[in-house]
Amino acid sequence: MRAAATLALVLLALAAGCGGSGGGRGTITIVVDAPFSRSPYIGDTVANGVRLAADQLNAQGLSAAGKAYRIRVVRLDNALSPGRAVANTRNALRRHAVAIVTDGTGVDATWKLANQQHVPICITYQGGTGLVDPKTRPNVFRIAPTDHGLAFRLAEYMVPKRLKIALLTDDSDYGQEGKASLDDAFKTVSKSVVARITLPSNASDLAPQVLQARRSGATALLVWALPPVLAKTVVAARSAGWQVPLYATPTAEDPVLRQQLADHPSWLDGLTFASGRMTAELGSGPWSTFEAAYESAFGATFVGVKSQGKRVISPPDYAMYSYDCANLIAAAFQQASGTNAKKVLAALNQVSIHGANGDERGFNEVNHEGVVDDDVYFARFEDKIFRPVKDDPLSSTLPVINQVR
Amino acid sequence: MSKGAGVLAAFILLLAAGCGSEKKAEEGGAEKECSSAPAAMAGNPTLPAMFPTPDNVTYTGQKKTGPSSVVSGFRDGELGDAFDAYKSGFDSAGYQVTHSEKEEDDAEVNFAGGNSTGQVKMIQSCKDRTSLAITIRPQ
Repeated sequence: MRAAATLALVLLALAAGCGGSGGGRGTITIVVDAPFSRSPYIGDTVANGVRLAADQLNAQGLSAAGKAYRIRVVRLDNALSPGRAVANTRNALRRHAVAIVTDGTGVDATWKLANQQHVPICITYQGGTGLVDPKTRPNVFRIAPTDHGLAFRLAEYMVPKRLKIALLTDDSDYGQEGKASLDDAFKTVSKSVVARITLPSNASDLAPQVLQARRSGATALLVWALPPVLAKTVVAARSAGWQVPLYATPTAEDPVLRQQLADHPSWLDGLTFASGRMTAELGSGPWSTFEAAYESAFGATFVGVKSQGKRVISPPDYAMYSYDCANLIAAAFQQASGTNAKKVLAALNQVSIHGANGDERGFNEVNHEGVVDDDVYFARFEDKIFRPVKDDPLSSTLPVINQVR
Repeated sequence: MSKGAGVLAAFILLLAAGCGSEKKAEEGGAEKECSSAPAAMAGNPTLPAMFPTPDNVTYTGQKKTGPSSVVSGFRDGELGDAFDAYKSGFDSAGYQVTHSEKEEDDAEVNFAGGNSTGQVKMIQSCKDRTSLAITIRPQ
C-alpha cells in the first residue's frame, strides 16, 4: 500500500512538472521566493497575495489555447540571503516555473539565471533603484514603491518644513539602497541635511548614533532601516527624552516595530512614514473588496497590540502588489497562449489589468515599474495605528483605513 | 470568527465599497459650469528642456517642493483632449511616457526626459476646463 501511495505521489509530481504539455488539465507554477524564516511578515505578505490571486483564478477557470490550467504556488524561503535566493531560483527553473515573485532579495544575482530561460521575476517589496532596468534586465519587473519615489517624496514633504534633517541608514542592503536614493533626492537640497549616519544592524544600542544626530543640530530624523533597527532608533531617541520628529519608510508598518515598542507605545506616536497609497482615485471600494477577500482567505494579520481596547491589524497593502503581479503573470500567460517562456515574458510588456485597488497595473518595454512615484503617501502613527497626514496634497485626500478588529 | 459572522463582515465591506464608488461619482466635475478662469502667472515656468506645452494651456504658478517643483495651470477643453495632447506631446518631444491612466474625471501621464521624471496630473474641474499639476523631479 505504502509503495503504491509513493508511486501515486511520484506520478502526480511528474504530471505537475509537465507544465502545459500534453492533454488534460495543465499546471503552471509560480514560485514565491521570500524571507519566510527571517521576516515572516514580509514573506507571508508576498506569498499570500500570490496565493489569493491563484485561488481566485483557479476558481474562475484559467485557460490558454483551449486548454484548462491551474496555478500552483510554491513557497521557497530565501532567509534574506542572496545565496539562498540563487538556490531557490535554480529550484524554480527545475520546476519550469512560469514566473518568480520575490521580495527582492538577491535579485542582483538571480535575474541572470532566470533570464537565461526567459523567466520573469516580479519584485513586490524592495525598491532599490538598480534592481529594475528594462534595458539591462529585461526579465525583472516590480510592483512596489521604488526607493527613488520614497526618497523624493520624503524630501518633497520634509524640506519645505525647514527641518534640519539627519539621514540615518542601516548597514543592511535595504539601508544602503536607501542611502543611495536619499543621496540622490537630497543632492540639490543638501543644506537641509545636517548629518548622514550609518546604523549598525547588529548593535544592541543605537544611543551613540542618535546622540551624534542630536549633536549635529538635527531637528528631524529620517530613518531608512529594517524594522528592528528602526525600533532601536526610536528607543534610543525617546529614552533619552529627545522628542525629535521621526520619519521613516514602509518598514514602519511591520508589526515588529509596534511589538518592540509595546512597553512604550507613546514613543511611536507622531512617527511619520512614506508608503504606497492603498486606495486609488476610484475610491475605497476595490481596496475594501480585496481586503475582505484577503481576510476571508488568511484571516487578519494581527500586530499583537491593542488600540483603545481593540486588536490592531496590519492592512494587506504589500500583499496587494503580489496579488496584482500574479494576475499580470496570468494575463501574460493567457496572451502568450501557453507556457512558452519567451512569449510569456514578451506578453508581460503588453498586458494590463485593473489591480486590487482599482488602479491600472501594467508594464511596457520602457517601464517595468508598476507603482509610480506620485502614488507615495505619508501616514502618521497615533495610538498604534496610522492615518494619512493632512499636510500633504495627496495624503490629505486618502481615506483612513480601519486597522482594528 | 464564525462563518456567518465572516459572511456578514464581507457583506458590510462590500456595501462600504459601493458607497466609496458613489462618492466618487458625486464629485465628478465634468458637468459643472466653469467659473472665471484663474489668472495666468507672470512670466513662464521653469520647465525641463523640450517639455511639451499643448495648445490652450495656461500656467498659473510654480512652487518649489524640496528638490522638485510643481507647475500648476489649466487647459481649456475636456479631460480626454488634454490627456491625448500630453501623450502625443511627450512622444513628439522625445520623452518617454512611463505610465498613463485615464479615468472619468482625472488622468495622469508619467514621463521621463529632459533630465527629469514626473507626472502631469489632470482633473476635469468643470465643463470645459481641465486643471493641471505638473510635478518635475530632477534626475
